[in-house]
Amino acid sequence: MSTVMPQSATPASPSAREEPRRRPSHLRTALEALASLRVTVVLFVLAFILVFYGTWAQVDAGIWTVVNDYFRAAVVWIPLKVVFFHAFDIPGALPYPGGWLLGGILLANLLAAHAIRFRVDWKRSGILLIHSGLVVMMLSELITGLYAIEGRMTIVEKQSSNFVEHDRHAELAVVDVTDPKREHVVAVSSTSLADGKVLRDLPLPFAIEVIRYMPNSDVFDLEHAEIYFSARKKGMPDNPADAGLGLRSIAIEKSITTGTDTEQRIELPSAYVRILDKDGKSLGTFLLSTYFGFLNEVPDEIRHDGKSYRLSLRFERSYRPYTIQLEEFRHDVYVGTTTPKNYSSDVRIIDPETGENRPVKISMNNPLRYRGETFYQSALHPFAKGTVLQVVRNPGWLMPYISCAMVTIGMLIHFGLHLTSFLRRRFAP
Amino acid sequence: MNKYVTYLPWTVLALAALFLASKVMPASEPRDGFHLSEFGLLPMVDRGRIQPIDTKARTALMVISGKQTFVDAKGNTQPAIRWFLDALATRSEGGGPALEHKVFRIENDQVLSLLGLEPRSGFRYSLAEIRPRAAEFYAQAQRARGVDPKKRDLYDNKLVELAQHLEVFLEVSQWHFLSVPVAAKDEQWLSVRDAVQSPHKVSQAIAQIQLELVDAYAGNDPTAFNKMLKTYADYLDREIPVNVGTARFETFFNHFAPFYQSAVLYAFVFVLGCSFWLGWREDVRRSAFWLGCLALAVHSWALFARMYIQGRPPVTNLYSSAVFIGWGCVIVGLILEYIYRNGFGVVVASATGGLTLIVAHYLSLGGDTMEMMQAVLDTNFWLATHVTCITLGYTACFVAGFLGIFYILGSVLTPWLHNDLRQSLIKMIYGVICFAMLLSFTGTVLGGIWADQSWGRFWGWDPKENGALLIVIWNALILHARWGGMIKQRGLANLAIAGNIVTAWSWFGVNMLGVGLHSYGFMAGALRWLLVFDISQLAIIAVGLTPLERWRSLAQVPQDKPTAPPKGPSQSLQPKAVPTAS
Repeated sequence: MSTVMPQSATPASPSAREEPRRRPSHLRTALEALASLRVTVVLFVLAFILVFYGTWAQVDAGIWTVVNDYFRAAVVWIPLKVVFFHAFDIPGALPYPGGWLLGGILLANLLAAHAIRFRVDWKRSGILLIHSGLVVMMLSELITGLYAIEGRMTIVEKQSSNFVEHDRHAELAVVDVTDPKREHVVAVSSTSLADGKVLRDLPLPFAIEVIRYMPNSDVFDLEHAEIYFSARKKGMPDNPADAGLGLRSIAIEKSITTGTDTEQRIELPSAYVRILDKDGKSLGTFLLSTYFGFLNEVPDEIRHDGKSYRLSLRFERSYRPYTIQLEEFRHDVYVGTTTPKNYSSDVRIIDPETGENRPVKISMNNPLRYRGETFYQSALHPFAKGTVLQVVRNPGWLMPYISCAMVTIGMLIHFGLHLTSFLRRRFAP
Repeated sequence: MNKYVTYLPWTVLALAALFLASKVMPASEPRDGFHLSEFGLLPMVDRGRIQPIDTKARTALMVISGKQTFVDAKGNTQPAIRWFLDALATRSEGGGPALEHKVFRIENDQVLSLLGLEPRSGFRYSLAEIRPRAAEFYAQAQRARGVDPKKRDLYDNKLVELAQHLEVFLEVSQWHFLSVPVAAKDEQWLSVRDAVQSPHKVSQAIAQIQLELVDAYAGNDPTAFNKMLKTYADYLDREIPVNVGTARFETFFNHFAPFYQSAVLYAFVFVLGCSFWLGWREDVRRSAFWLGCLALAVHSWALFARMYIQGRPPVTNLYSSAVFIGWGCVIVGLILEYIYRNGFGVVVASATGGLTLIVAHYLSLGGDTMEMMQAVLDTNFWLATHVTCITLGYTACFVAGFLGIFYILGSVLTPWLHNDLRQSLIKMIYGVICFAMLLSFTGTVLGGIWADQSWGRFWGWDPKENGALLIVIWNALILHARWGGMIKQRGLANLAIAGNIVTAWSWFGVNMLGVGLHSYGFMAGALRWLLVFDISQLAIIAVGLTPLERWRSLAQVPQDKPTAPPKGPSQSLQPKAVPTAS
């Protein structure tokens, strides 16, 4: 045909035939096997299937579950239900190579191919650039997967915040506030909260029995809940709480946000817990919810043995050495609709370490990059006039930009060279 | 060469120009003397956009009946604005001509039997016909609405759909739409209902004028109506100069319906292109090519007109993506035709251009296609380039797929695809796939960059991103398999056809996964069409897998064919072509 397909004349690995037949070393044989284009194509097929099912899985699973199980894993167990597109509800699962594994082999295949066939000439420069760009892209996804940290900063107008919440990790926190100068915190990760479980071995003078844990919930005022349920002709769910905030609010379990949900929502875990003293006597059953944190409600307090403890379910926090203050939050909608036109937050960075104190405007598509982290306008405060900023630390954030430029230029060179030579012959006199 | 045939391209172009001119002509004002088109120019707000009432009337009627015109009791075709005015003139006690207009499209037999109606040609019914069993219908619709959208069956969906259509009518007939500006600056609009009680004197007056305007219409008093219309336009100009700048242009755009006209032209191009293959002369091909160029010009004008009216980049939603993909397909097809001159380019251009415009037509049944976008989708360099690139990528995939279909069906079922033609088809497919690879990769990565700019996440593995990635992987797979010699001509064509399935999945299928919002009406039907499309593509691939000795084009040596189409210059270029396909 033409130079468009340089290797089409010889089948699998052309370089093997071009060289005089000496006895190749074992390393070279292995490299050649690894570098085969057949391996590449097989890997593409496998990757295609993985991405396809990784999309189907999001019909009933949260996007992060899927990312961790399918794409950031060596082996994934694909449920049979997903394999058959949710048409049949069959138990069981099939093992399948995951993203790390396929990406790894693909990388090895690519590097081996270039190790064997490496030669620098103008015709191959495009391919070389494309493939180097792809290596950068794969590494960037690896770095993101391993090191990127995402969190959220929620600030009500005129207030400020110095911590980031990680909404994929909730924790049950018991804070000893007896001494107003020093808080003593005992925190239990939400992953160890399960219905009916009793947490006895905590460094606390009492045990905590988890009555019900809800990974995502709606919290209603009791009066609203009665109206809500009677309007839907359903009975009120039972309310196990007998003390604190649970006496005026009720939490109702809600399904988790799946990857294919058209609206991105924040998941709000809640839990009903009973506090048991040494003799197993109840000190009260409480409703703890991340929802209360949003409302800046003072957490429920219990007194035991002359000490005061505050109970809360909150998102895991990490503190920053600086404060961000929300001066004004603007939220415009298109006339006559609820479709948001733009959000923007006028904030002030107050950093005692560097002495900075300056105003910044954060809006959609205009993030603030500060001290290795990026603050994006994410949403409006769900319950008050305020802002939600997405906070991301990703050491590899620049890599995709580099990779994109490399691959695109590479493709333009590669296809452009062939196109010009094709057109030259096509329109040759 | 016959003298008359030489002029064929010019004749075809002249006829097409006449056709277009007839569509550009403004509609004559109705005989009863109401200045309907002037009324259509009045401003209002819908889905966050200031627009002429004409647009609202057309989109509302489109949602309800699937057409922008209706047939009145006397059998005359009437414009949407007439239906709109009739609806406005509906009195609460339930009189008025709007009740008699047969505009509600109901094709589901169960819904029809619930309403006690017989299926009729066109499936359009009037409110007066629906009314006797309305109570039972509402009870059923209420039940269907209570069902989780993911669990609704077809009947439930159709009930909900009709209930929504009735609500569209109610929104108009009860004056719920926003037609009264409050003050020019703060972009606040009220419905007439609210404006009547508003403290703003000017808004109150505007609402009053609008009510009287419709009273004059209902009282069949054209003189009063036209006078009132003039008064209103002047008053609005003086008190609250609403920026309607593009209103006149937009009504012209609505009236001309350029996408529809270019779809009609593409149909003719397709017929001409196919007749060329059936042994007709080179002039037919040239006519097809130039007619294709004219259709493309109309299509492009329409695309830019939309951008001008909306003030946005070309692709803002699924509808505009269809229009844009079609546009790209036509350009690629015509370029291929210009290079190869063998008729494939025009046929691919017209088939893909026409089909995507039909898809766009069905997508427009959802309502105004120029709705405003979510804040995060607001114009941004990365987003605009991402969307443009990725849709062009879809385009290239479809063009390659359709060329693949020609290759397979042409070689298996007909004796006409001789060796040289097959060679050049394969080269076309290969080149287009290279483009598809470039565009879909760049588009996908640009999307990642945009996501990084707006959410701080370059790649999130969400369904839409995965869909784009699937296209990239698929194209990479085809190219590597080709370079590795694992596939030859037949394999390339078959994989390119499978690429149609992959692309359709990314474009539509992914949206259908997120049921809930999208399960209503169109999307449920679209799923069926997607499946039909996929099955048809698989069937063609199956045809392509038949043994080579059954391929009719391979059965004979090219020179023995008397029926071969005239050769373009392409065929002399392949002296070293090998006469095998697989």
